Amino acid sequence: MNTTGTIRQTIATVNNWIENRTESQFAYFMLFPVLLVFSVLALWPVLYTLETSLYADSFSQFRGEFIGLSNYTELVTGGRDSVLIRPFIDLGNPFQSILPVTLMFTAVTVVFATILGFVQALVLNGTYRGRSIVRVAVLLPWAVPIVVQGMIFYLLFIPAGAGTDLVNSLGLMGSQPLNESVTAFAIVSLADIWVSAPFIALIILAGLQGIDQNLYQVGKVAGASRWEQFRLITLPQVMPVLMIAMLLKSLMSMRVYGLIDATTNCSTVPSLTCGVVGTFNGSLYGTSAALAFITAILIGLVSVGYLIKYGNSSTGGI
Amino acid sequence: MSTERSGNDSKLEQLVSYSIVNSDTLYRNLFYFTAICIVLISLAPFYYLFVIALTPSSRTTDAGIVPAGFDPSSFIEMFQVVPLHRFVFNSLVIAVMVTMIVLVFASLAGYVFGRMDFRGKPILFIGILVLSYFPGATFIVGLFRLLTGNISVLGISSPDLFGTPGVVALPLTTLTLPIAILLLTTFYSQIPDGLEDAARVTGSTRIGSLYRIIAPLSAPGLVTAGILTFITAYNEFFFSQLLTTGAAADWSPIVWGLSNYQTQVSVRYDLMAAASLFAILPIALLVLVAQKKIVSGLSGGTLRG
Repeated sequence: MNTTGTIRQTIATVNNWIENRTESQFAYFMLFPVLLVFSVLALWPVLYTLETSLYADSFSQFRGEFIGLSNYTELVTGGRDSVLIRPFIDLGNPFQSILPVTLMFTAVTVVFATILGFVQALVLNGTYRGRSIVRVAVLLPWAVPIVVQGMIFYLLFIPAGAGTDLVNSLGLMGSQPLNESVTAFAIVSLADIWVSAPFIALIILAGLQGIDQNLYQVGKVAGASRWEQFRLITLPQVMPVLMIAMLLKSLMSMRVYGLIDATTNCSTVPSLTCGVVGTFNGSLYGTSAALAFITAILIGLVSVGYLIKYGNSSTGGI
Repeated sequence: MSTERSGNDSKLEQLVSYSIVNSDTLYRNLFYFTAICIVLISLAPFYYLFVIALTPSSRTTDAGIVPAGFDPSSFIEMFQVVPLHRFVFNSLVIAVMVTMIVLVFASLAGYVFGRMDFRGKPILFIGILVLSYFPGATFIVGLFRLLTGNISVLGISSPDLFGTPGVVALPLTTLTLPIAILLLTTFYSQIPDGLEDAARVTGSTRIGSLYRIIAPLSAPGLVTAGILTFITAYNEFFFSQLLTTGAAADWSPIVWGLSNYQTQVSVRYDLMAAASLFAILPIALLVLVAQKKIVSGLSGGTLRG
């Protein structure tokens, strides 16, 4: 009885205190836990990693001596040969080989995942029986664990795999497609397109559902064919959303790691993040941190580029 | 030759005129054809897992469209070689932890960002979103030091969480929080102001109107945010791989469970396939039940507003 009384009184006091705050004060009061979590688990680690990138690698302790931007300059100019990354194009310059791979991967996956995603969105947007089955099927590749996504394509392209048989019967490549850089790159890209198209599809679907249906009525009256309706109404209407989808997909592709590691162990198709992890696991913390920030800078540049080019035309989102 | 060509031409002509007259039928059939292709593209790789899982390990090379032989024992053996059930359990525990923490924090932030005006709101909101688009790699050195007890502030050392579920759950919380906040901000901003105003006018306190008006209305938004968070957390790869020991008893998640089959002495593809199928079971069930919510959440919630 006594304790419930105290509890009630406390609640009343707190309630009273909250009532007497301004709107801004109340907002910050409510946001406090979130901001605390973000400061400790996101902002602080990023700043700490940034600081670490200014120190030399050291095997005897966590950080070597302070060397300023040397990690960055050496990575970009290719002056470091201790980086534990397997090469793809250029044997001598690990960063200069993982950068082209990452950019090529980004270009290929963004283009093809967008095309596949667009088709999926059009299919998801229709009304027909069995639509929920299509919905589950489209979502599934995106929703399963990354390690399983990778495992599937690993199993498809082991020497005995069905995918390998197909590649061989087409006369394309040898019996170990995952160990050869060009085929491995194609396989990893294929896997990523299969995995990420649904994500793009769902964003485009939002755009499709936002289109004013009257436009199609007008189009029909004016005698536009299905194709003309698509080209003159659908495409321009979803363009802003399409751009957002492609931007988000570009950012995801540029920091890709899990899928590549799960299919090829990062050995034949090294992405930027593969490089970060490789150096991190090799205790080269300075190099690892610098490589991580080079990745972040590139991602930032791509985002800013998109925003400058398409920022005005996009109506919604970011 | 010429008769054959004209024959083809007339057939083609027929087809063209038929398509023009029945363009709707043609379009519909084309649509169904595309839909079937999409379903096949999405599901065929999963079907292949069944083929490999059912093929006896000695005959993997013969597996094609159908399994070479029928040997379901891999579905039992996979638990004996690797404690797969424990890895899946670990992942489920971590995903539930993350989802619960994220829902509490994201609904607070979503309410504030969606329904209140205050100084610094745009900067804070964009700041949180931008941070979430930083590559995971930029967190790892700092997080690793922090969560292994190597950072001390004012003489108090950070906790060593290595080998506990927290070591993955905490980074995943920050990773999934921004998306949940974005989703719930949009959701809360769509609740009409009038409801809350009415409650305030009739004498309800801030907390009272939050509890009586907003909380009951927020259930659908919370469900969608929760599902998406759970899926992201269960599937995560990067932090799970880098921050855990790899042992089942140390709360290592499913990433390690499946990787462990690759490090076995004799590589057993049938076990890998069977284990993959087992690992996706929780997510497949969730997608089956919640497909509508996921679609509306991702397509409607995160990018509109």
